[in-house]
This record gives sequence, structure tokens and C-alpha cells, in this order.
Amino acid sequence: MIGFDAILGSFAAAFHYESIAVILGGVLLGYIVGVIPGLNRAVAIAIAIPLTFYMSAYAAIAFLIGLSKGTAAGSAVSAILLNTPGEPSSAATCLDGYPMASSGKPRKALKVGLLASVIGDLLATLLLIAVAIPFASVALKFGPYELAAILVFALVFIAGMAGGSFLKGLAAGGMGIVLGTVGLDPETGAMRLTFGYAELMEGVPILPLVIGTLALAEMFVQLDEYRRNKGASVIKLGHQADDDLSYREFKTTLPTIFRSTGVGAFVGALPGLGPSVGAFMAYGLAKRGDKDPESFGKGNPKGIAAAESADNAVIPASYIPLFGLGIPGSVSAALLVGAFMIHGIQVGPLMLRDHPEMLFTLFSGMIVASLLMLAVGWYGLRIFAKVTSVPPHIVIPVVIFLCLAGIQVQGYGTFGLITVFVFALFGYFLKKFDYSFVTFLVAFIVTPMLEMNLRQSIILSGGEIGILLERPIALVFVIATLLMALHLGWSGWRHRARRRATTNHAD
Amino acid sequence: MTRKNFWSGLGVSAVALLLLTWVIPTYGGGGFSFGLPPQLLATLGAWLMLACALALTLVSAIVLRRDGEPFIALPGLDHLWHQTWPFLYVLAFIVLIDRFPLTWVAPALIAGLLLILGERRWHVVALTAALPTAGLYGLTAHLMRIGVV
Amino acid sequence: MHKTLLSTAILSATVALGGIGLAQADDFPSKPLTLVVGWGAGGSTDIQARVLADILTEELGQPVNVVNQPGAGGGVALARLANSRDEGYTFVFGTSMTITFGPLSTETTYGLEDFRYVAGVTLGQSALVTGEDRPFGDSWEDLVAYAQENPGTSYATQTALDRMIIEYIAQQEGLDLRIVPTAGGAGMAPLILSGDVDFGYSGGTHSGYAETGEMPVLLSLAEDRLVAFPDAPTLQEAGYDINAAEIRVAMVPQATPDSHVERLAEALQVATEDPRFIEITEERILMPVTYLPEAEVTQTLTDQVAGYRALLEELGGLPED
Repeated sequence: MIGFDAILGSFAAAFHYESIAVILGGVLLGYIVGVIPGLNRAVAIAIAIPLTFYMSAYAAIAFLIGLSKGTAAGSAVSAILLNTPGEPSSAATCLDGYPMASSGKPRKALKVGLLASVIGDLLATLLLIAVAIPFASVALKFGPYELAAILVFALVFIAGMAGGSFLKGLAAGGMGIVLGTVGLDPETGAMRLTFGYAELMEGVPILPLVIGTLALAEMFVQLDEYRRNKGASVIKLGHQADDDLSYREFKTTLPTIFRSTGVGAFVGALPGLGPSVGAFMAYGLAKRGDKDPESFGKGNPKGIAAAESADNAVIPASYIPLFGLGIPGSVSAALLVGAFMIHGIQVGPLMLRDHPEMLFTLFSGMIVASLLMLAVGWYGLRIFAKVTSVPPHIVIPVVIFLCLAGIQVQGYGTFGLITVFVFALFGYFLKKFDYSFVTFLVAFIVTPMLEMNLRQSIILSGGEIGILLERPIALVFVIATLLMALHLGWSGWRHRARRRATTNHAD
Repeated sequence: MTRKNFWSGLGVSAVALLLLTWVIPTYGGGGFSFGLPPQLLATLGAWLMLACALALTLVSAIVLRRDGEPFIALPGLDHLWHQTWPFLYVLAFIVLIDRFPLTWVAPALIAGLLLILGERRWHVVALTAALPTAGLYGLTAHLMRIGVV
Repeated sequence: MHKTLLSTAILSATVALGGIGLAQADDFPSKPLTLVVGWGAGGSTDIQARVLADILTEELGQPVNVVNQPGAGGGVALARLANSRDEGYTFVFGTSMTITFGPLSTETTYGLEDFRYVAGVTLGQSALVTGEDRPFGDSWEDLVAYAQENPGTSYATQTALDRMIIEYIAQQEGLDLRIVPTAGGAGMAPLILSGDVDFGYSGGTHSGYAETGEMPVLLSLAEDRLVAFPDAPTLQEAGYDINAAEIRVAMVPQATPDSHVERLAEALQVATEDPRFIEITEERILMPVTYLPEAEVTQTLTDQVAGYRALLEELGGLPED
């Protein structure tokens, strides 16, 4: 085991001005790339990897950690201001962030998002340092049975927050399921709904899907509204009086942040679920647990706080199986494996024995990166909040250009452009007819994971359901799912009955 | 809204029916599997769409009838055109991007839309068109080194 | 497609003018080149490709840009390359499985004969692996004996190729296996480490556990024994007549002029002798570097395709699409 002074030494190294400069460079690059709609972590990585070849092992890894945090925070900024998430996992942030920003409180929205993301990130990092390595093997208790059960639970849970119209929410979920099955069937090798396109073999690419349904569709909606109220701007100019975050208001979001960090850390520690599942589960939990669930989706700061803290807690937590077992649990964990590989370090349980100084410098670097992110974000939001005061007729063409550029830059080619366009049409209809985007996206993301784990469970158990009795964790989630479904049905019925009684008017 | 629900429900049901009767059986893939049949989840999803959309249509139809509202209210042609042209505009540029690099097409894409939206100050148009394009060029040709896209 | 039309016109003009066209091509490369990687940024193929691109830039005197075109296990990049009229200015660096088994297992718009294989530069290290403390230990023979006695022994598959190999082995040895699909090394590792699955296929993940011994190798799927696991026999040594060796290879469209291919091959040969490329590949990615000239790679790949075809027929016929 590593000595205490060595840990202190590694922290001292991380706070050295040179390493701070490298991490700051990474944070800045990531933040700037992330803020631009349509560009995301993949672009930042492509810029950064050639740079890291010429850095020392420590500098390269510190740089990439900074980059990872920077893109997460940056993509939240464009999610909040323009409804254009850079990463699919920031889609949950749009739900309340965008309504709040467009109602004239962009700075408040950005501040809640930034604080929540830094807190979620820091707490999850501390968790990683404290319990990661000895307890990493707990993650192995979550095999295919458990993951399948958790995913079903998540699906039912999130379906419950479909919002306004339950029927339309479920129908959108059905669309997500159908699209989620597109691609190579993992068991039979059959092509499903690919119509002969090799590009669809690994499923509908998620980035064009998200950019199309959210960002580009939003621009079409804005164009429509701009015409209707020409002269008056769609996004309010300037700021409303209470466009700042008071400490009292922030305090009310703290319990949400802590709970969501817990959800994010749990999801992150299990290999294979990823930040989108974490963010949407936390958002659902916050909405469900709130006294006023109707205010979610209309600019409730708790919605932003839940999505951002969980999204950012997933990433440090996904390093738990990485350093404990050598299994990369997320895209950014896989990226770190690559960075370590360039510098000749095998990521895994042996790191603690062979390169303890590296491991602890990494941990301290993560903390430094979080703090720098807070500083960069704090000043950045002052600048970026001004985007909302740019007249929409200038914003709209530029954002449309950026959506298309993001696809071209990431090598999706003409196929990607057409995908974006088709999903922009689709997203436009979802918005015009008020179908839930959330249930659609969650179903789309969860379906392939669920199918894989369900398959593995069925094959491994030989199709015997009795196996659940030997897997208590899975059993608990199956029971929880049934209870949740019953609860949803019951409360939906009561809600409807009450409304009918008061208004005497069916929906 | 009720009328919108009625028609969108009808539309989604039609799509779901098409999926169930033709698309999924034809293109859904096949082969022997011990786990889940390849078409199972897609079929379940389509059934979910169908069931919910049909229920929505039915409920909305009942409400429309009870309130005595007409089922059909066509939007004006003018209105329809205003909703369609942005899509056609972007689609036309996607066709162009297929043939020429985006970096060449971008200034026209941005400036054209700006002019349509009523911007007449030439320096605003020029700057708004030039800056993002220059940014894209710097990003692809120098930072990412993937050549001009 | 104006550009394509134009270059097709130039191409046919070149063909018509014969020798003159070829003579003009001798100053290759006269503009920047593009190295396409069929996987996302940050993976082992991508990292290797970027080092390769740096060395090729120095060697060819023109910038070599790395472009990622992920999708379909490298297949999207190949499908696009097959339509390229870029005369070697655009080339794909990828793994041989995409081109040998890809067209057999799925519908593809390309085949082996659509490309020229400029050179192979790295040998893959894929293997059949298992976990610690299994009842059959870590020897292949004991596993086979165990699986014969225990129907329902489970196997984690990642690719259509390893699924075919294991089905062939199961047929030969009379095994009744439960074949579980997994998504990549990150999907396979937890199942093997936790003991939920008995053994499985691994592309390179096992190299990371060479020292801890948490993921012992049962059988090498390369032509030779694996560098990090010299005790595990190869497929042939275990008595199966399959050559499933993976080669990382640079590919150009079939219509590329000879002089361009030769120039690229020269540069690639220099790269395989460059200490930077050797270091990243042998010490970091843990795969041996070898230079395989065009004729040899093409022969190996053709033999592999023939072998896979025969195997598929033995297993019940080619899945005709």
C-alpha cells in the first residue's frame, strides 16, 4: 500500500503550477468545444490526442481529464441556452434548462447547472478515492440478470414521468423501442431494419439523432415562431430582475443534488449503463419526489440540478470498475485507457501496485480539474449567457450551420446529414403534437442495453426463470419494477378521477 | 389540441400498422435464436405505439364529437408554406454539401437565411457568414487535421 | 456527384492513354493524404494509426490526415473506400477480419477483390480466454473434457467470426455450449471475471490481465502462440485446421495505380522499422510488428476467406442473402 506522504506528494504535484496549467488547458479546450452546438467530446478528443503524444504521461492524462470535464460542462451550456446538447446525456439538462433560459433567466440556469455538476463530480471523485479499489469487485455482483432488472426498472420508472399526456408519452416510447432495435442482431447476426445501409449496422447513430430531434428541430420551431412574432424576439432580450442565483434558492436544490449524485455514482459504478441512464433516472427521481412535479419541464432549477449532478457523477464513478477491475465503464473511461496505453501504463488493478503515484496524481488531478472547471465555468457563463441577447434571426442560421458542421466534422458524411434532417422532421412533429421526447430518447438508449442483458440472462439460465431466486439483487429490482408499475397505474387512475371530479371534463 | 391529438394519434397508428404488417416482418431480420427472437422487441414497441395511439384517437374523437367541434380544420396554404420552406432550404443545402465541401457552402447557407429573415445590414451578414466558416476551416484543416470538410 | 464524374473521366482518360498516365503518377504523393480509421478516436487501432500517420508524413513528404469513420466494425470505412476514386490518396488502416469474414457474415457492398492490400504491419493477438479458479483450470484439453461432461457450459462471443469458430469446435468435440452475445471487450470482461460465463473470445482485452493472471488464455487464435501467454497452444496445435489470424493492414481501392501502391508500401515498410511505431505497438498495445508485403497479405487473406467458406459449408451451408 502506498504511504500517506506519497499521497500528499502526489497532491502537491497536482497543485503545482505546471500541472495546473496543463489541466486548465484541457478544461478550456473541452469547454470551448463543448459550448459550440454540434461539437462534442469526440471532436475535442480528436484535437487532443495528437497533442498528448508529445506530453509526459502525467501531463497527457491530466490534460485529458481536464478535457473530459470541460466538454461535460460546455455541453451543458449549449443544452441550456440553445437546447442543443453536445452529448446525449446532456439531453436531460435541456428539459428544464432551456425553458428557464428562454424565460429570461439564462444566468440562473447556467449557475445551477455549473454548481450541480461540480458538486456531483467532486463527491463522486471523493467516493472513487475512498472506496474505489477495494470495493470495485462489488460491481461484478451485477451480472446480466441484475443489469436487465435494473434497466427494466429504469424504463418503467422513466415512462412514469412522460408528462402531460401519458398515452402520447408511451407511444413515443414505443417509437424509441422500434428505433433502438435497428442494427445487427447480436445473437443471430441478422440485419434488422437497416435497409442495406452499413451505417445502420451498429444502430441509428445517436449523435445525429439527438442533434436532429432536439437542436435542428428547435431551430425549425423557432423559425416558425419568429415569423409569427416578427419584431418581438423569441428568446427574451436582456435579463429579468431575478436572473441570478440566491444562496437561499441554491440551498433548496442541494438535497436534489446529493440524491442525484448518489444515483449517478451508482449507475456509473456498474459497467455498461452510462451517463444518459444516470441523468434521466436522477431527473425522474427528482420529479417524482417533488411536491410539485408539474413544474418540471417548465424551468424548475431542481430539474437542472438533478440532471447535471448525476451526469457528472457518473464519470468519476465509472473509473471505479476501471481502476478496480480494468473494465472501462463509460466512453470517457475508455478514452483514459487509450491515453494510458500511449504512455505504456496498463489500466487495471495492478496500477495501485505498479504505478501508485500515477493513480493518486490522477485522483488529485481530477479534483484540481473540478475546481478549475468551477472557475472557468463561472466566468464563462457571464460571457455565454449573453448568447440569449443575440437576436434570433442571427442565432438560428448559425446554429443550423453548426448542427450540420458537427456531423461533417465527425465523419458521418452525407448519411449523417440525412439522418439529422429526418430526425429534425421527426423532432418537429414531436414538438408540434406534444409527444414526449424524454420517453422516446430513454427507450431508444435503453432498448439495446436491455435486449443484450436480457438475452444473456435467458441464454445463461437456459430459459429458467427460477434463476432469479439465486440472484437476490435482480429479484429486488424485479419486485420494485412491479410495485412501480402498480403505483403508476393507481396514481394515474386517481389523478384522472380527481380531475374528472373537479372539472367534469375529460382530457 | 384535441383535434391535433386525434390526427396525430391516427398518424401514429397508421405508422405502427405499417411497421407491424410490412416493415418489421420484411426487414426485421430472422434466424434461430435461443435468447430473444430478433423481431420481438421491435414488434412490442410497434404494438405499444399502436395501442396508445388508437386509444388517443378514440378519446379525442369522443371529446371532439361531444363538444361538437369539426374534425377537420385545414391550415391556410400560406401557413403551410411558412412551415415547409425552412425544411426545403436545409434539404437543398444538404444536397449541396453532398457535392461540395461544407466549408464552401456555409457562407451561402448562413447569409441566405439571414437575408430571408430580414437582415439588411451588410456588415452583419458578412460577419455572421464569415466567422463560423473561418472557425470550421481552422478546426478541420489545422486543429483536427482531417482536411477541409 | 460532380467530383466523382470528373475523376471517373480522368481515370478513363488515364486508362486510354496508358503509359502516359502512369508516368504522370510518378510524383505521388503530390497532395495531402487521408488515412481512414474504421473505429472511433482513442481506441487501439486509432492510436496506432495516428503514430503511423506521423511517420508516413515524414516519409512521404506530404501531410497524412487521420479521419475516423466508425461503424459496422470497420465496415462503413471500407464501404466508402470501395467507391473512392482517389488513387491511393485515401487509404484505410484496419483489421483483416472486416474484409475476410465481414462479407461472409453480413450483407456488404464490398468484397475481398475490391481492394489492394498494400501491406500488413501488425499481427493480432486474439484468443479464447477464461477466468481464475475455474473447475477446468486454464488448459484447453481440460476445458473440452469439462464441457463434454457438462452440457450448457457457457461461451461469450463478440464477433460473427469467433461464433463460427466455436460452433465448429463444438461440432468437432461434441459439445453443447450456451453461446452468449456480448458487446466488445468491455462487455465480455465483467462476465468472465465474475464467473457468470465459463470462457469466451477476447480480441486484446486479455493482454491487460497478463500479469495478474485474472484472465488466462486457453487457446491462441493467432498463427503463433501469443507473446504474453506462451503456454497456451494455437488453434492448429490443438488440432483445428483454421487460420483465424488477425492482421492489421493498409488497404486501397483495387483501381489504384501500381506506382502509388509501391510508394505507399515502401513508406509502410519504413514505418514498421521505426522505433516509435514499434514501441507503441509492441510495448503499449502488446502486438508484434511485422512487415508483410502485398503479395503475402493478399495470399493469406484469400486463403482465410476460402477456409471460412469451407467451414461455413461444413456447418450447414453459407447463409445466402
